[in-house]
Amino acid sequence: MKEFKLENEPKIVSGFKTPEHYFDNFSAKVFDKINEEEKEVKVIPFYRRKKTFTWLAAAMVVSALIIPIVNNYNATSNELDETTLENYLSYQSNLNQYDLIQTLDTKDIQELNNNVALENETLEDILSSNPNIERLITE
Amino acid sequence: MIDEKEFIQQLLNPKTQNTAFQKLLSDYQKPLYSHIRNIVLNHDDADDVLQNTFVKVFQYLKNFKGESKLFSWMYRIATNEALTFLNQKAKLNGITSEDLQNKTIDNLKADVYFDGDDIQIKLQKAIVTLPEKQQLVFKMKYFEELKYEEIAEILGTSVGALKASYHHAVKKIEIYVTTN
Repeated sequence: MKEFKLENEPKIVSGFKTPEHYFDNFSAKVFDKINEEEKEVKVIPFYRRKKTFTWLAAAMVVSALIIPIVNNYNATSNELDETTLENYLSYQSNLNQYDLIQTLDTKDIQELNNNVALENETLEDILSSNPNIERLITE
Repeated sequence: MIDEKEFIQQLLNPKTQNTAFQKLLSDYQKPLYSHIRNIVLNHDDADDVLQNTFVKVFQYLKNFKGESKLFSWMYRIATNEALTFLNQKAKLNGITSEDLQNKTIDNLKADVYFDGDDIQIKLQKAIVTLPEKQQLVFKMKYFEELKYEEIAEILGTSVGALKASYHHAVKKIEIYVTTN
């Protein structure tokens, strides 16, 4: 078979043709398309702004819904600190007096002293009316 | 021909923009059409890609830094558009880009906008077997008759590398045509 050499051959043209007058109205087509795209581009900011409003409204609804929840949460947690905790400790836990005493430090004891600044008379009353006085003393 | 910087200014100025862009279109529509047609092979696709190319050129003109020539910048956009188009079309049909091109070449004989005989078809079939870069270099050098310096600017490679690419491409094509 004869070896094919590109440079020995007459120039091979691509053979691609265009429809007649194709280039005559090509620029008009391009200008139309550019105008079309520009219209679309103008629509985008409006659409985006609309979207921003939607997001803004959604955010406001969510925060409005959250406010009572947050308030409630704070209120309940305060109550937990006080009475609920006390009740729980005295009635439902396995903690006894010794356990509680163990956790006290000197500062706590001082505070307790201040709180229980009982007058002598009251103290006597309590002691005399308490049938378990001996047990209390030995403890 | 007026200074390129001045021409770009005219393209960016809203008052002169339309006239300047009209000139850009009439100067470049034919060479860019050939460039794109050589890549996508069929007229309707080339028409689509060429329109998109000019729309992109118009939209991106304000970002054109003047680091390269307007000519090579536009060729680059056209090349990217054409290659992206081919890949998307191949993906849509679930075949490789090479298979798609082979199919298009088989259909060329029936294409009213193709005036070629067996040797043209064979040459196109040989080109498809080359790597993408060699295909581009061969088409730009052989069919479009661009200078190496111009191709180098468009593809962002050195003239030396291009010459080597073209040489390899020619060798492979000659072997293909001889044996097929």
